[in-house]
Amino acid sequence: MTRSESVVKEIIIDVDNINKTYPGPIPALVNFTTRVNKGDVLVVIGPSGSGKSTFLRCLNGLEEIDSGTIIIDSIPLDDNEKHRLEIRREVGMVFQSFNLFPHMTVLENINLAQRLVRKKNRQQATRTTMDLLDKVGLAEKAESYPAALSGGQQQRVAIARALAMKPKVMLFDEATSALDPEMIGEVLEVMNLLANEGMTMVVVTHEMGFAREVSDWIIFMEAGRIVEQDRSGNFFSNAKKERTRRFLSQII
Amino acid sequence: MNLRKKIMLNSPVIDGIKFIMLAMFCGWLIYRGSGRIGYNWQWYQVPRYLFTFDNNIFTPGPLLEGLWVTLKITACSLVLATVFGLLTALLRLSGSLVGRVLARVYLEVIRNTPLLVQIFFLYFVLAPIFELERFAAAVIALSLFEGAYASEIIRAGIVSIHRGQWEAAHSLGLSSFDTYRTVVLPQALQRILPSLTGQAVSLIKDSALVSTIAVYDLTMQGRTIIAETFLTFEIWFTVAAIYLIITLVLSLIVNVLEKRSPGGVQFT
Ligand SMILES: Nc1ncnc2c1ncn2[C@@H]1O[C@H](COP(=O)(O)OP(=O)(O)OP(=O)(O)O)[C@@H](O)[C@H]1O
Ligand SMILES: [Mg+2]
Repeated sequence: MTRSESVVKEIIIDVDNINKTYPGPIPALVNFTTRVNKGDVLVVIGPSGSGKSTFLRCLNGLEEIDSGTIIIDSIPLDDNEKHRLEIRREVGMVFQSFNLFPHMTVLENINLAQRLVRKKNRQQATRTTMDLLDKVGLAEKAESYPAALSGGQQQRVAIARALAMKPKVMLFDEATSALDPEMIGEVLEVMNLLANEGMTMVVVTHEMGFAREVSDWIIFMEAGRIVEQDRSGNFFSNAKKERTRRFLSQII
Repeated sequence: MNLRKKIMLNSPVIDGIKFIMLAMFCGWLIYRGSGRIGYNWQWYQVPRYLFTFDNNIFTPGPLLEGLWVTLKITACSLVLATVFGLLTALLRLSGSLVGRVLARVYLEVIRNTPLLVQIFFLYFVLAPIFELERFAAAVIALSLFEGAYASEIIRAGIVSIHRGQWEAAHSLGLSSFDTYRTVVLPQALQRILPSLTGQAVSLIKDSALVSTIAVYDLTMQGRTIIAETFLTFEIWFTVAAIYLIITLVLSLIVNVLEKRSPGGVQFT
């Protein structure tokens, strides 16, 4: 048990009983309910196709839910366009495939949303960008194009780009899965740093060591359902469900 | 065949020689042919239809005036066709059913009727109703026509942009307008520039058809000169050469532009 239960924490992500089915017979999320406190790190694990990505993508409105409610920082993710836009601005996302804008330099990638969405002028945006690049250790790459960077560097730029919006929540969808093994560490290091700074994070990962180290809560899901949801310490030392133990023994 | 020979046969020098031989053969054919019909070549007559140079004063002749009109028509139509093309592409990709149907109807009508008929329709039917001048009618007809083809190219460019780019823009909170303007279109444009250039070349060539509604473009001027002077061969050769020069220059400019932008074209 890492933290005292008695400390009253503010719930920042409130997901209540959401369901999601893509065209096709198999549902992607079934009666999915979870809450995340401000500053906590929730790690979501599960076999391929279990709905981890879908869950993340529902959180920032990339996918529509069929039923249930999602509230982020007291803003309901409903049909109201204003709410949706607000949530997109407050929730940053990092993708497996980086998705940097290839026609812009690193600096332009990170400045873009600050200028267009946060309405900063070039100078203010660039200052924030350079601070963030410093933080992820890539200050000297500001003028490079993404194609000139290694995978690990691109992913760190992508993280900096998301952080530039000063998000309240960060989503990571297998941020290290597309990387060569020797580059995984540098990205995890940045994520670790964020977690320690108190960023609220929802992380999908296959890196169990990292999951264990960084998470406050763990969800293990399968076929769109939560199999087990527990504090990190409990989860890894004595999982209650037989299915969870089997999964953990396979993957660790 | 050994490697050395292969390289020799593919070298630019060999290409050049082949080209010159072909050109000479064609020239000989034309010369023979024209001789047989008793054609009297008068190339010395041609320059004054291009321009005159009296007392150090440069006066463009009818052909250069026609070229100027052709360039004006082409430039205006190019801009307008791009607007039509972009709007139609966006409509076809939009969530609005009415928009999609409208775009579809426009495309089918334009692509399944001859350009000449469209020009006549615009000039003889719509122009009187909307009080359009010849020039405006010509520009609108051409841009509607090329815009339809451009829209298909633009649409293909847009859908070729990876989903991840949209998703990244979405999660940064960009509006759809900004996403198109700063993320999707610059990358799409980079990809479709060769096809769009091809379309622009077609536009230049198709613009010759506006001579049918008596717009004094390059082709119309050529026809007029020939009617007066019977310099049929010389003038058509000259007119064709001028069209060739404009289209080649256009391709060249685009080539240079393409090489200059490393990752794509910037709109910001
Ligand atoms: N765009 C889509 N259209 C149709 N079905 C989809 C789509 N995206 C995901 N699915 C299906 O929804 C289910 C959950 O997919 P999801 O991508 O969320 O799984 P995941 O846990 O992230 O898997 P992985 O570990 O392979 O990334 C799967 O059965 C998948 O085939
Ligand atoms: Mg996934």
